[in-house]
Amino acid sequence: MTDPKLPDFDTMTPADFEKYLPDFFANGDGHVSTDPRLQTFLKNNPDCAALVRDLEAIADQARSLFDLTEQPSDAVWSGIQNKLKMLGSDDDDLPDLRVPQPV
Amino acid sequence: MDVQGLQMTQNTPAVPGVYKRNPPIAGEAEAIEAAKNGDAEAFSRLYALHKRRVYTLCLRMLGNVSEAEDMTQEAFLHLFRKIGSFRGESAFSTWLHRLTVNLVLMHLRKKGLNLVSLEETINPSEDDAPKRDFGSRDLQLTGSVDRVALERAVASLPPGYRMVFVLHDVEGFEHNEIATMLECSTGNSKSQLHKARLKLRELLRQPEQSTQPAGFNEVAV
Repeated sequence: MTDPKLPDFDTMTPADFEKYLPDFFANGDGHVSTDPRLQTFLKNNPDCAALVRDLEAIADQARSLFDLTEQPSDAVWSGIQNKLKMLGSDDDDLPDLRVPQPV
Repeated sequence: MDVQGLQMTQNTPAVPGVYKRNPPIAGEAEAIEAAKNGDAEAFSRLYALHKRRVYTLCLRMLGNVSEAEDMTQEAFLHLFRKIGSFRGESAFSTWLHRLTVNLVLMHLRKKGLNLVSLEETINPSEDDAPKRDFGSRDLQLTGSVDRVALERAVASLPPGYRMVFVLHDVEGFEHNEIATMLECSTGNSKSQLHKARLKLRELLRQPEQSTQPAGFNEVAV
């Protein structure tokens, strides 16, 4: 063990594991189940291994939510156009633009 | 609009994880340059290209359709004001997402949600906190998580958990960036994320009905 902030992997208890789990996830590639330092512990503590698998499954699936998008209503674009009309001549930050057409 | 504190310029390097997920879009660079010169059609094109991602980000952070639409509108108005400062050092969508996140956070602060101390202000109540039952093995969840069920569960998370989970696990921001945006420590961000995942595990193990928050149909993500 080289990091003094981490527990001794050979003598670590499930409670130690729980305490340091956020750091285990935050360090490396975020996949605790493949961390070679933890293989023996996880093999000997199947409940901890199940927890890790669940949390990894949640994190992995969360990445796919990035591509799951929703469409805003047409009112959003109408609101932008109206605001631009109102602000355009009075707002020095706005580029001098013609009012956009509906998308 | 008070924009102090917003990271509109690109003082920080592009985030590799986010950049990978935000590859350049065909025709986008031309639209950006045209928009800088006040080309209304170019603005319209940029809105069409990015409205879904921006709106969904707002919706996930706020959990409310009406507020999400208002913030989407504000984000694009802000984009229109500040597009001249975009220098192309990171992906445009990365820059736009950061702009949007900062606007949403500023909105939440104005509403009275003090994000300076996450632990004191947006930590959930005892009832909302994840239960310490990691010793019980779960046979339902291991190996697969349904995407729709996860989306529902995320929507039902307490705001503090949801914020960090969306920023880190969905949007791909790093803990140090989240810490900067939320004005908290990196350790706090890690801790909140872990608690969020534990809470999601708990929610996903419950019968489907209980993961559906009140008014979820309105949220519709």
